[in-house]
Amino acid sequence: MDSSFLPAGADNGSAGGANNGGGAAQQAPPIREQDRLMPIANVIRIMRRVLPAHAKISDDAKETIQECVSEYISFITGEANERCQREQRKTITAEDVLWAMSRLGFDDYVEPLSVYLHRYREFEGEARGVGLAPAPPRGDHHHHHHSVPPSMLNKSRGPGSGAVMLPHHHHHDMHASMYGGAVPPPPHHGFLMPHPQGGHYLPYPYEPTSYGGEHALASGYYGGAAYAPGNNGGSGDGSGGSASHAPPGGSGGGFDHPHTFAYK
Amino acid sequence: MEPSPQPMGVAAGGSQVYPASAYPPAATVAPASVVSAGLQSGQPFPANPGHMSAQHQIVYQQAQQFHQQLQQQQQQQLQQFWVERMTEIEATTDFKNHNLPLARIKKIMKADEDVRMISAEAPVVFAKACEIFILELTLRSWMHTEENKRRTLQKNDIAAAITRTDIYDFLVDIVPRDEMKEDGIGLPRAGLPPMGAPADAYPYYYMPQQQVPGSGMVYGAQQGHPVTYLWQEPQQQQEQAPEEQQSA
Repeated sequence: MDSSFLPAGADNGSAGGANNGGGAAQQAPPIREQDRLMPIANVIRIMRRVLPAHAKISDDAKETIQECVSEYISFITGEANERCQREQRKTITAEDVLWAMSRLGFDDYVEPLSVYLHRYREFEGEARGVGLAPAPPRGDHHHHHHSVPPSMLNKSRGPGSGAVMLPHHHHHDMHASMYGGAVPPPPHHGFLMPHPQGGHYLPYPYEPTSYGGEHALASGYYGGAAYAPGNNGGSGDGSGGSASHAPPGGSGGGFDHPHTFAYK
Repeated sequence: MEPSPQPMGVAAGGSQVYPASAYPPAATVAPASVVSAGLQSGQPFPANPGHMSAQHQIVYQQAQQFHQQLQQQQQQQLQQFWVERMTEIEATTDFKNHNLPLARIKKIMKADEDVRMISAEAPVVFAKACEIFILELTLRSWMHTEENKRRTLQKNDIAAAITRTDIYDFLVDIVPRDEMKEDGIGLPRAGLPPMGAPADAYPYYYMPQQQVPGSGMVYGAQQGHPVTYLWQEPQQQQEQAPEEQQSA
């Protein structure tokens, strides 16, 4: 049902993106309703992990949790962004996100997430050491992994790789609907901001599949792979590199101080 | 918690029905007298234990003990929750597949026009953070479902979790007021002071209650009690101004 609806939505999104490109280059594309929330299947799957087997979840509860998650992301992002602006930085980092959580009372989250970030960076380091980590034993992932030329990965290192992602989303929604097992050709559509062609399609071909059970996993896989080059780009930048490689212990120590009512 | 239907629960108009195991046998008789006393006098249940009759004091202490036990159980559940989260993270081997799509997270972050660039690691951290957030909010909501002897998690359970947990204040606008009003059916809070070793959020939640003189009865009167209900409004008004984080 969602999958059948998505292509039309993708087309509308692309058209909107094109219009904005013509009118105001820097304006963010319009946020579609279905893009404002986390996919409900993912949310339900997570909820069930903490509920007993006999538990039922009403539809309005599912929708309420979806709304709460988006509100949580916006709430933390707002605080993290304020810190960036005060320090005259342009890029929100993982450390900014953790700092914002601590400041807004989510102290319990900081330690587990610091450990997670540390282990993620270890994983990324190993991946870079061998070029890229071997893909999980699934045909599609394996195929995609080997189909990406090194030159494209290098292009993804360019400055502003973080900002690159958003405009491409609309194109690849449309593109994904045509995807039939072959590697999609490079895009040839105008975007809000000009970007090297090589970086265009890498992150988004499989975004629509996040609405399905198995496909959601596939989407997660490609989403993760898509950000590996971006991380390299971050490392390439001096200040970004130093920030992202801060010692985990120091980071943990900095965020461990409780600020339960700091924002009151 | 094993269900233990009691007629006086129904007579009291939807008040919380407690399992028999939570009380000594005598306790099952005492609530009836309290309910009848409440109905006859129409007086609100005194918040100050010293002002209560002997029978009220007994029931009050028993309700307090029950509440304390329930809170301890919930505290243990939450502590276990965080231990499990850390264990799960330390055991993680797959850093390519995320339980939530990074592209969607990034789009929600970018909905704020002030946000300029986002490092690749930020959505990765958010994916894990949102997973923990969903799990914790669901667990706290389910506690309310269980208190009401239901097996279906409903919107009003989420509303209850939001009102009981101070770090969820930024969510008060997401659940409408009538959902919060329904919250009154749940755990009795009127006149009960914060317990020893309280949950992170409970002291904050109960503190204002202590300042409300003569708030509602423990049984039944809590439902839709104007004093308790009025208290919630100032909180919302206070929170709205500094924490307007509306998604576009």
